[in-house]
Amino acid sequence: MGDEPSRGPMMTRVCWRLVEILSLMLHPDERDVVRGDLAESGAAGSQALCDVLGLVVRRLAAPWTHWRPWLTLASLVVPLGMLLSVVSRSTADGSAVYVWMYANNWKWSDLGNAGFWHAFTETVLLVFKGYLALACWSWTSGFLLGTISPRMIQTNGVLFFLMLLFGALVGAPRYFAYYWPFRYGANGPVFSLMFYRETFPLIVLALLVVGPSLWGIRQGERTERLRPLLRQVLWIAAIATLPAMVIQNPELSVSLGLFRRREIWGSWQIWLLQLVAYWPVGYLVADAIGRHSHRSVASPITPTTPSQ
Amino acid sequence: MLGEFEYLILSAATRLGEDAYGAAIRQEIEDATRHRCSIGALYTTLDRLEAKGFIKTRMGDPTPQRGGRPKRMVRVTAMGIRAASDFYAAVTRVSRGVSWETNRVAVR
Repeated sequence: MGDEPSRGPMMTRVCWRLVEILSLMLHPDERDVVRGDLAESGAAGSQALCDVLGLVVRRLAAPWTHWRPWLTLASLVVPLGMLLSVVSRSTADGSAVYVWMYANNWKWSDLGNAGFWHAFTETVLLVFKGYLALACWSWTSGFLLGTISPRMIQTNGVLFFLMLLFGALVGAPRYFAYYWPFRYGANGPVFSLMFYRETFPLIVLALLVVGPSLWGIRQGERTERLRPLLRQVLWIAAIATLPAMVIQNPELSVSLGLFRRREIWGSWQIWLLQLVAYWPVGYLVADAIGRHSHRSVASPITPTTPSQ
Repeated sequence: MLGEFEYLILSAATRLGEDAYGAAIRQEIEDATRHRCSIGALYTTLDRLEAKGFIKTRMGDPTPQRGGRPKRMVRVTAMGIRAASDFYAAVTRVSRGVSWETNRVAVR
């Protein structure tokens, strides 16, 4: 922080470092003013830490005096966090069997077998489809959070990821405990390995849920600049994705009794709903093309156009 | 009706005039009340007063004393002065005849 006084002992340095980190949560203008006030008043490190912590807590708490953040928490953050952690666990367990099949039983001699390649291609496509769907759902969830409350993005983001973590460590294992006798009975050798039982679901959660959700949150933040009609279309697509996530997940659809109603699975409406779930791919491609063409148009005038 | 802390800020800012900004107001309040004034309470209350139209704030110039960082300058509006006057009048009226007020007058 440049000019803060009372530097010296280790504790003071730690306090000032924490002040620096905490003040990043403030609006840039306010951060500068507060740091200036602390420098001018010659506050001790611990005092400065208390002051900045108090201000940050007040700033974070202020929106919770209104009903909107509570509604967002109850209607989006908690359900999406739990749903995604369950779907992530389901996808991880489903693909773990295939990963085990190839990674733990690999034989170089199989590469010369045409049947191997046929089965391998089918498996890769199946796993990829599941992973892509999970990444799209996660991106959509983040996108919804980013769109609905740009001002609360930090708080909602943290709560969402805490919910995911809670779901992954407590919620999903409890939920799946009911299905484990069926699921793990046949695939016992796979899930007897700690990697596939404990580590692999967390890797899937980190790569296909946390990463895409963060990306979605950032993209959602930017929709304020879009035209209202386009924003509404994006919203409809995002909301349509959520039922797709529920019905496409085997365990969830069993819980909801949808699995018994086989007639609905062949309907075009379900097919369309499943297709809509992949809308983030289309959106991101269109966004990238739009930005690329914008840059191409701008470049003859300003050769060093800053990135958007 | 103002809150007690809001009144303290308005009074301090009015007294400081052109030199009213966050750290100076805080110092004034601490000197007057002999209690610590937290930065969190100060800036959230400044926001509230600004939302009510009692003050106007702007970013001031950076000074070397502040490590080159700007001040948040405060100006009390006419509405703020009226609100503070009303508060003071109400406190004066309600305090008439109470023990600490009569004792204080007697000590004088």
